[in-house]
Amino acid sequence: MSETSSEPTVTKTSYEATTVAQSGRAHLRHLLFQAGPLLALILLMAYLSFATSNFLTVDNLSNIARQSAFVAIVAVGQTFVILTGGIDLSVAAIAALSASITAVLLTQPLVLFGLDFGLLPPELAVAIGLLVGLIAGAFNGWVIATFKIPDFIATLGTMTIFRGAALLVTNGLPVPSFDAQRQLPDTLIWVGGGTLFGFPVSALLALLCGLIAWYVLRYTVLGRSIYAVGGNREAARVSGISIERTKIMTYAISGLLAAIAGIVLVGRLNSANALMAEGEELRSIASVVIGGTNLFGGEGGVLGSIVGAAIIGVLGNGLNLLDVSPFWQRIAQGFVIVVVVIFDQWRRRSMTRI
Amino acid sequence: MSEPEILLKLDQVEKRFPGVIALKSISMDLRAGEVQVLLGENGAGKSTLMKILAGEYRASAGTITVRGKEVSTLTPELAGELGIGLVHQELSLVPALSVTENIFLNRLPCDPLRRIDWRKAHDMARRALDALGVSIDPTVEVRRLEVAEQQLVEIARVLERGPRILLLDEPTSALSDGERLRLFDVIRRLKSRGVGMIYISHHLAEIPMIADRVTVLRDGVVVETLPAEKADEDTVVRMMVGRALDEQFPKQAAAIGALALAVENLASGVSLKDISFTLRRGEILGIYGLMGAGQSELAPALFGLQPIKAGGIAVDGKAVHFSYSSDAIAAGLGLISRDRRQSLVPMQPVGPNLSLSWLSRRRLLAPLDLKREREESGRYVRELRVRPSSLTHQLMFFSGGNQQKVILARWMSSGAHVLIFDEPTRGIDVGAKAEVFALMSRLVNEGAAILMISSELNELIGMADRVLVLHGGRVSAELDRDQLSQENLLRHAS
Repeated sequence: MSETSSEPTVTKTSYEATTVAQSGRAHLRHLLFQAGPLLALILLMAYLSFATSNFLTVDNLSNIARQSAFVAIVAVGQTFVILTGGIDLSVAAIAALSASITAVLLTQPLVLFGLDFGLLPPELAVAIGLLVGLIAGAFNGWVIATFKIPDFIATLGTMTIFRGAALLVTNGLPVPSFDAQRQLPDTLIWVGGGTLFGFPVSALLALLCGLIAWYVLRYTVLGRSIYAVGGNREAARVSGISIERTKIMTYAISGLLAAIAGIVLVGRLNSANALMAEGEELRSIASVVIGGTNLFGGEGGVLGSIVGAAIIGVLGNGLNLLDVSPFWQRIAQGFVIVVVVIFDQWRRRSMTRI
Repeated sequence: MSEPEILLKLDQVEKRFPGVIALKSISMDLRAGEVQVLLGENGAGKSTLMKILAGEYRASAGTITVRGKEVSTLTPELAGELGIGLVHQELSLVPALSVTENIFLNRLPCDPLRRIDWRKAHDMARRALDALGVSIDPTVEVRRLEVAEQQLVEIARVLERGPRILLLDEPTSALSDGERLRLFDVIRRLKSRGVGMIYISHHLAEIPMIADRVTVLRDGVVVETLPAEKADEDTVVRMMVGRALDEQFPKQAAAIGALALAVENLASGVSLKDISFTLRRGEILGIYGLMGAGQSELAPALFGLQPIKAGGIAVDGKAVHFSYSSDAIAAGLGLISRDRRQSLVPMQPVGPNLSLSWLSRRRLLAPLDLKREREESGRYVRELRVRPSSLTHQLMFFSGGNQQKVILARWMSSGAHVLIFDEPTRGIDVGAKAEVFALMSRLVNEGAAILMISSELNELIGMADRVLVLHGGRVSAELDRDQLSQENLLRHAS
């Protein structure tokens, strides 16, 4: 987060000299802390490579990447929201809504108010699905910013709204339904489950989303505004940053990424339904926190969140390979989250004066 | 006379934070029945030292001896048992609890069934407050009290534990003169009972009133401990700053230029009723008023942070209406707000804090100007002598005065030419104050117009070209520089 770290200006007084000498070590620590999640992922993978015979195979790793892509993409959007000090509980519902709408439009003719539009071009169907995610997210942001209600409650409410809308769209049935007039396009199946140069497409897409998000957070006015709003709302306000605009934008981004993830998931499962991805909002939050972003906003980044999603994916896969029962797997995953947050709090305390 | 007992002895105490040495080799002692005033600029390490003694921080090295017994690790509990009490600089009260609950937190009197005996508790609280000579209803929630009253509750809370060693970290910063004198009475009473006190203050005038000895800290080391009668203002200021402070108020006559800000019949919020004034380039216009006279709502109203009920504002002769602070920034205004913590992003270094106001009104996906940010933060850190002169440390590691300089640099870099200084010296030390004043002088010389809202009479007298005195939300007097005196200001304010 420190693009200014390259050249500290030093004037030579004895006081400064000590400060800067100290700062070398502090930087090393800082770096170590920042790399913490990545280090944990590498250690975990190293352990599993030795402990099991089939962890370190191309098939297995591709499988993990494909499975983690959904959470990773959602977590990228969630990072934006958490950095502003908010939380988005509606991401999985938005993913399901966008996925449902896209899948319905891809497989059935569109009939609106008695008008029959016929089968839409697949590109348009996907675009509408993405737009729905963007608008749903912006709606979250608008409600939160305009009516000044807590993010948690607002998105808890809209989560149910979006799930309900998805049920309406699908009639509560899986899509494509038995009377589908068209199958899901091959391109979508390829995005969800195929490979490009040997790499799973969905995982590459997640990385692409992560890279764009990283750029936005680090090099644009929006990114800086997000860190400022999360770091100190009042300071942002006094400095002329529109908190409303920033909030709406971050939630819109979160909604858009949830929609992307949902549509990718349709491709992987070759099916959509209104209740898909249930509980994934919590996994996305866990990914963000494991990745080192402060749950209270202002500190962290999107690359950590992707690593966090990978940790969750590798852990689940590894426990499977180690033949741990699914019940114990849940317990283990829960523990990992708690331990990581304990570590994170300890780290923060040792960094600040308190 | 027998030698008084040494209550507390520090030997080469050191405290390091990641990247910063806050204290290096502090050695001092505290005698029974003495008031030792601890002086030092912001960032000298006073508050850190207090927190170590209260067990809130752990010293990195050195020994602490309390009443003859060396204590290796001081925890807040142990400090309490040893009779060490700390009155915090930042209030440490629970706003949603009553005065009584705050005073006796954790130790509320109970009946045999372990139910809280509220009548007894409130009585005890009332007596504790009476001892301080204040009448505050003990059943009231703390958040409903004025800051000064909260401060007194904090003091009562610490005194209620009967400390032998009392640490007071700027206890009078929010108190009125009368309340301060009553606190001094209490301090003298405690003194006669043999309590030893370390007293931190930025008010040098308090030294002859209560001090027995004075210890000066600078950059985390003890410069000297000297008896109060030798601690005249010049001497201690020189020790604190490390150089002679040639001029506290470097006021220079600047050329008065074009009209910058005109305010007509402005009303806003609850206290601001009807205020008109003009401000020209090159001018420092002071605003003075007693608590609740309207001066605390003036800056938010002018800066678009709080809606205006009536009246108009014109900048550079053009009528303006600010719905948001971004409008005010675009018109060339800058605000140094009364609470520094409201202006900073503490977990970010100087650069992003400096450039924060540049983001105003820009397209969201526009790229940041990181090159300019790097250059300007480097330049301002050098020019304004920000300490530590680092572009990588998070701002929370900076002292109040240095944080204030960064906020000033923000508005200088954004090219603001009408600057509102709302209590610019609150909680910053003598050296930093002089630097802030020097900057104000420099700014008006470069053609800026400054509105200086302050409750410090001597600062207004020292810096302002004119002062507007407010009373009941209206202007009660406009005084020119040659009419400025403490008596005059106070007379029109009350």
